[in-house]
Amino acid sequence: MIRLIALAMLLVPFAFSQEQSIDWQSDYHQALKDAKAAHKPLFVEFRCEA
Amino acid sequence: MEGRVFDAQVVLSPKDSPLGKVLSEYVCVRVVRMDDVDVGLFDRDWNNAIYFFVLNADEQVYMRYGGRESQSPDTYNSLDSLRIALEQGLVLHQKYLRGELPKQARPQAKSPRDMPLLVERTFAHRQCVECHLIGDFQNIQRERDGVLDKLTDLYRSPDIKTIGIMLDVPKGLVVKQATGAAAAAGLKAGDRITAWNGVPVWTFGDLQYRYDKVDRHAKDVKVTADRGGQSVDLTVELVPRWWWTDLRFRQSSVDPRLDFEDRPLSVEEKQKLGLKPDSFASQVKYVSEMAKIRKTNDLRVGDVIVAVDGLESDEFANTAELYLKLYKKAGDSATLEIIRDGKRTAMPIHTFVLSFRK
Repeated sequence: MIRLIALAMLLVPFAFSQEQSIDWQSDYHQALKDAKAAHKPLFVEFRCEA
Repeated sequence: MEGRVFDAQVVLSPKDSPLGKVLSEYVCVRVVRMDDVDVGLFDRDWNNAIYFFVLNADEQVYMRYGGRESQSPDTYNSLDSLRIALEQGLVLHQKYLRGELPKQARPQAKSPRDMPLLVERTFAHRQCVECHLIGDFQNIQRERDGVLDKLTDLYRSPDIKTIGIMLDVPKGLVVKQATGAAAAAGLKAGDRITAWNGVPVWTFGDLQYRYDKVDRHAKDVKVTADRGGQSVDLTVELVPRWWWTDLRFRQSSVDPRLDFEDRPLSVEEKQKLGLKPDSFASQVKYVSEMAKIRKTNDLRVGDVIVAVDGLESDEFANTAELYLKLYKKAGDSATLEIIRDGKRTAMPIHTFVLSFRK
């Protein structure tokens, strides 16, 4: 429980600013197309949430 | 769940934060299901629950970010070092756009759906393909096919601390302290590591990935560092068992489970017992309470193991525990020769497979 509270406190500032946070896509292949069109590099996060 | 705070800090980075400003120059993708990930292109140690790649739209990988040590998944993750890495990624990308970056051959694509064990045990049951399952099933398949090289495939991601490299983590690959083999080679605090065996590295993820590719029989690694604007080339001699890491965080790995732990005897201790200095004689320091229930062994804390199946020494193992992990399959049996209360005796030992792997 203490760890959960500590985690929540850590994330509070981020949660309040969520509207101004980065747009993250979930479709890698669509992101490739977008990167190509925008001449931008890709930043890919692989996250196992299980 | 490993890495959850770092994950949230990255994903929820405000656009006007130092990291957010750099991230805004990227197309950001977050992949949480590994079902269709290209494990050829995105090759890595799959026992990392969080890992990042920086690449271009032609799928040329600029760098990796992530990696861990056995003791903690979080040691090398830092918002500052991630920002530094991403800034470097933008520099590399500009070079790529100008045609100044050498082309790399794209690794062959490989799908988890082409891995029979994943199909049989995960896809068929509509279960999530967790990152570690990819690595676990790769090794189980290798073992079945008789091509598992435990030194390389099981003991993945060697620990740079073993050769004396401690990083100033928020600064990326800047050395905080060099000891042991690294110090003997001339590495100094403040150096920034720039290449590993001749391959440029930008992050700890890059460095650990390249270190993992080093032949386990190698005697040294070439390290290039930036020292106050000057490039210096160093040769770091690899210490015995430089590749060894604690496997316990790799919960589904293929190593045989033993129900005991040991420690190597010192040369003096071996001498007193009349054992050869290069033997893997070891003293039992822990026996699981489950040993009796599973009937795996009758060892006691303090027993000295002097031989396994009649062998007393090995090129790689410095303890009986490591010898068993390297040369036995989970479920195999062996005969130990032990010294207890000054008397030598033979004792059978049985290893076991994790129940959820059966």
